[in-house]
Amino acid sequence: MRAEFDRRGVQVLTVSVDSPEEIAEGRHMHGSQATMLSDTGLQITDAFGLRNTGFHSAPGSEEAEALPVPATLLIDRSGKVLWMDLSEDYQRRSDPSVVLAAMQAHFDTL
Amino acid sequence: MFTLLTDLPDFAMKPMKTGTKIGLAAFVLALVTARYWFYLASEVALPESRVWFVVAFLLAASLGVYAFVKRTSWLGAIPPIGAIVIGLFLPFTIAVSSQSVEANRVIAVGDTIPSFSAVDGSNNAFDSSSLNGHLVLIKFFRAHW
Repeated sequence: MRAEFDRRGVQVLTVSVDSPEEIAEGRHMHGSQATMLSDTGLQITDAFGLRNTGFHSAPGSEEAEALPVPATLLIDRSGKVLWMDLSEDYQRRSDPSVVLAAMQAHFDTL
Repeated sequence: MFTLLTDLPDFAMKPMKTGTKIGLAAFVLALVTARYWFYLASEVALPESRVWFVVAFLLAASLGVYAFVKRTSWLGAIPPIGAIVIGLFLPFTIAVSSQSVEANRVIAVGDTIPSFSAVDGSNNAFDSSSLNGHLVLIKFFRAHW
């Protein structure tokens, strides 16, 4: 997938409630080239309206009071949302092929 | 105490009551359904529709109740009780472990993304203004890396 991002010059951003230290640990294991933001206070999550208001929002093991709903957004050069995948079920993984198809449909046609 | 000891051989000798068999079947159904559910959950592969899980659990609970109607031995009462407890408790958990966003607050296609700033994994400051002029993919995660 990284080649697909690089080829199009896409800036990849991840947002999670992990602390910078936890992100750094994970990066070491996964080697992601993305900019990985720490949103422990849920400010970014709330700015996008993506706070999970469901019952099991944050299991007891989480330190955050709530969690974001997993979501993937494609944004154009002027900051407009072109496409969004909002997982209805937090226990499902999002599919890389879905993201690639979305980039082909929305980025490649610009 | 002593009557319990003399009862035990009788218990081993008697054929299983109908209710006990039903109770065991109910319990096995509840356990298998629960095991499958937690297996899918650990693989992050739960299906969109949980209907069949709820059906299986409620069926197990119903069979558990039916087992008592058909009468069980006192020991044979344990599996149907287990089936009823699992069969009623887990569907409740499934039903409420969904997620939702506030419909009027969530960002939508066509909206301009808000400005935001944060710290990254290297403790560097980040501001969303740096995204201007770029194609961007933003991914919100629930799970840890």
